[in-house]
Amino acid sequence: MLSADEAADLIEAIATRQDRAAFARLFQHFAPRVKAFIVRGGADPEAAQEVAQEALIMVWRKAASFDRTKASAATWVFTIARNKRIDHLRRNNRPAIDTDDWLTVFAPEDGDADKSVLAGQTYTRVKALLGGLSADQLVVIEKAFFEDKTHTAIAEELKLPLGTVKSRIRLALGRLREALERDES
Amino acid sequence: MSRHPAPDELLLDYAAGTLPGGPALAVALHVALDPSSQRTVDRLNAVGGALLEREPVPDFGEKDATALDQVLARLDEVPVESPPAAADRRHSTFGWAPAPLVPHLRPGMDWRRVMGKFDEIRLDLPGDFHRVSLLRLEAGRGLPEHKHAGYEYTVVLQGGYTDETGNYGVGDFAVGPGAQRHEPIADPGEPCIALIVVENPIVLTGPWGRWLNPLVSRGWI
Repeated sequence: MLSADEAADLIEAIATRQDRAAFARLFQHFAPRVKAFIVRGGADPEAAQEVAQEALIMVWRKAASFDRTKASAATWVFTIARNKRIDHLRRNNRPAIDTDDWLTVFAPEDGDADKSVLAGQTYTRVKALLGGLSADQLVVIEKAFFEDKTHTAIAEELKLPLGTVKSRIRLALGRLREALERDES
Repeated sequence: MSRHPAPDELLLDYAAGTLPGGPALAVALHVALDPSSQRTVDRLNAVGGALLEREPVPDFGEKDATALDQVLARLDEVPVESPPAAADRRHSTFGWAPAPLVPHLRPGMDWRRVMGKFDEIRLDLPGDFHRVSLLRLEAGRGLPEHKHAGYEYTVVLQGGYTDETGNYGVGDFAVGPGAQRHEPIADPGEPCIALIVVENPIVLTGPWGRWLNPLVSRGWI
């Protein structure tokens, strides 16, 4: 296992001294997870493996842009994997504008230093909070993130009225927001 | 804080990466202009990170080790890039364009007058079926009354407008199924510029509509 702090240290080691051993450890931890994430989205294992490798190469390339005060390593890797998944799905059409350009990983400069320490902790809290969501709420959130489904598609699949899915999403996000804001104030 | 934020479920689809190109661009622009929605998306990204972390995975096997060796071999040709300068990513001609829009504004793109009423720049998002346009409306001018066959997403980038549902300023987001007709009017001051993403062709409902709709559906206007 890799703690959030260790993972952040490893990314910084790549940024400061192109540390290949650090990369190897990140790869061992994240590549199988990213692959599983892509497979759940409906890709075949071969393609998922390729996307996971590309995502990890992106981790290497962009390591210097990682800022542990703004996001945890897992959050950052997730955003990279998500963008790679989008690129993969669109490749069947025409070459798209690189998603990195417009699907921002985080705000480039928010200058909000007070929140920075908390931003790194958000991930840990979110992880704990996910356990606090009801099964109904969690399934909608998981389907959105991992099965590559919009809230409209989720409603169809679960045979639920769209309004029900929307309200589950809002309740889930409301709970997350409330609890996180309590922490931050 | 914007008065009209994007709804949570759309921010979720955006963070999960499931929106088609057009709506994703609309949400990206809204998020770039709205710190509160930005924070929601940051949190949703953290949800994604937490879900990724708890994904059950098999032990790192021999095949995985081979894959790692292949990737390590490729790294010689992949430089670790310096972080992007926080410098101005503003567009030289269209200063109002938020950063996520800039890559879509290709050289030579310019406003085109439509029906003598407003200006448009049509954006081309590969592989997306939405019609994605920037519209510019002079103060006090209105768009022709219309309705939509599908969803319509609007983000205000400059100035503001008012319609039956309220007043919208910079960063505000509107999304609606198109059954209702609406007739937005630009607020006083500088021209209103907005990104409009439409799922299906617009249907004009004014007196000229029946003559103009065939042109709209062919994408000529």
